[in-house]
Amino acid sequence: MPLLTVESASKSFGALRAVDGVSFSVEPGELFGIAGPNGSGKSTLFNLISGIPFGPDSGRILFAGEDLAGRKGHQIARLGLVRTFQRETAFDTLSVFDNALMGATYGGKGPVPEERSAEALAFVGFAPADFDRKAAELSVYDRKRLMLASALALSPRLLLLDEPASGLTKPEIEALIALIRRIAATGATILLIEHVLTVLLALSQRLMVLNEGSLLVLDRPDVVVRDPRVIRAYLGDRRHVA
Amino acid sequence: MKLSGFKRELCGMILGLAVLAILPVFIQDTYLRHLLIMIFVYGMVAASWDLSLGYGGVFNFGHLALFGVGLYTYALLTKQLGVDPWLALAASGGAAVIAAGLMVIPILRLKGIYVVLLSFAFSQLILQVIVSQSDYTGGNQGMVMVPALKLGDHNMMRDKKLAYYYIALTLLSACLLFLRVFVRSALGKSIVALRDNEEYAVSRGVSLGRQRLLTLTGSALFTGIAGGFYGGYFRNTSTDVFGIDLTTLILSMVLLGGRATIYGPLLASLALTLLSEATADIGVWRPIIIGAVIILVLLVYPGGLAGALTAGWRRLSAMRTPRGQGAAINKVAS
Repeated sequence: MPLLTVESASKSFGALRAVDGVSFSVEPGELFGIAGPNGSGKSTLFNLISGIPFGPDSGRILFAGEDLAGRKGHQIARLGLVRTFQRETAFDTLSVFDNALMGATYGGKGPVPEERSAEALAFVGFAPADFDRKAAELSVYDRKRLMLASALALSPRLLLLDEPASGLTKPEIEALIALIRRIAATGATILLIEHVLTVLLALSQRLMVLNEGSLLVLDRPDVVVRDPRVIRAYLGDRRHVA
Repeated sequence: MKLSGFKRELCGMILGLAVLAILPVFIQDTYLRHLLIMIFVYGMVAASWDLSLGYGGVFNFGHLALFGVGLYTYALLTKQLGVDPWLALAASGGAAVIAAGLMVIPILRLKGIYVVLLSFAFSQLILQVIVSQSDYTGGNQGMVMVPALKLGDHNMMRDKKLAYYYIALTLLSACLLFLRVFVRSALGKSIVALRDNEEYAVSRGVSLGRQRLLTLTGSALFTGIAGGFYGGYFRNTSTDVFGIDLTTLILSMVLLGGRATIYGPLLASLALTLLSEATADIGVWRPIIIGAVIILVLLVYPGGLAGALTAGWRRLSAMRTPRGQGAAINKVAS
């Protein structure tokens, strides 16, 4: 049984159809990539799946066979469907440790949230000496790592990563790829939105491309990048090849 | 021996309260004791408001209505129903908690100015209920001859307000302990998380509705008890507690003291009450001078009085650091 099934999910903002009848499924343990030009509906799709801040207008989203309709965002997170955000989001006035503790306390399962927080922080590379630092003091990459740690503290069954490489330098992107590989190696199922194609190609087992809110192509990454429809969506019809 | 953060804070709190406990030995004047009692009462209300406004980031402008609910609960229970004043005092906190729970319902999913408008409307609604039930509440005239608090056979009218001083100090101590434990708990951190980034907090499993309910009811508990104490102390009620004057005064204490500090509003309660007394004879210039002082402090120290004290303490610590060590620290920092 797929871990996540999205059936004809749609979302409109006035006349704009941001996500238009998208259907796909993700198998347990899979690393599933999502690409698409700006405004293609990738992040909106994450919103619909996570219920934060809104669910779909129509269509169904099933997580481990359970329909998520009517569930609030925090309830979906507690089921183990956990997302990150495009920007390097953190609770700025809380410490590094307390950032992770939020996930472990309110969304995680198990008796000792403090231990799971420390484990999650150590997993993404924070030293205990960093635990008391305020999140606002961290660099962009450290804030991204912290966001990942706070997600891991929930012991997620499905992790939704929204453009984790945006704003990072090349060495940081390489470190991030290694980190995501380590997360995947624990058996976690990952849904990854990314603009940086090298990240998607390096990590995805299947790649879905969205365009103008609709599913354009879904296949192996090497097949997808050669698909004329994908090239047209990214570069337009009147491209000039040198 | 190095103490942990909370133990150190607890020691400081106990020391501060011990100083306040022996203060009446040196302050025999009834009026000065009355001023201190009012500082404690306003401090409780302002520090409680800091929980929802400062920590929770909820612009609850109906906070003083919770004080009013406590006041009228005490007065109605003791005068109309003959309930024991101490039971009525506890009930005043309970009634404020219930009122806060009702107030949460319409503002549960709202933000910013809409929370301000709806919570203010809620406060006016409670006022209208009190005014409309004038047979019991005295309407706009308020209630008089409200039964006072009693301590066995002790005559509280002839002790130069000593008993009321200690009751107020006990309530203040309980209030501060409750608020500090609240904000240091996982619950307290979760309301800060919601303030910092609501969507992110929800994505980590924090329930917006439940946490907002707990924030506002938590801020209501000692606000209501303070209202009940106010009724037992003054022995009358007035709908003025729902007015903009008292709201402005308490809000000034929260902002001047420093948001999300708990101790700051208490400090500001002391400063503003004393400043208000010191300028009592200058008529219309009084609010102008007080307003100017508040603006000046917040311009220099946006973190309020608590921020100013923290900055002063850091400067003092830096001065006490040996010169060589300071240079070494600076070198590492750079």
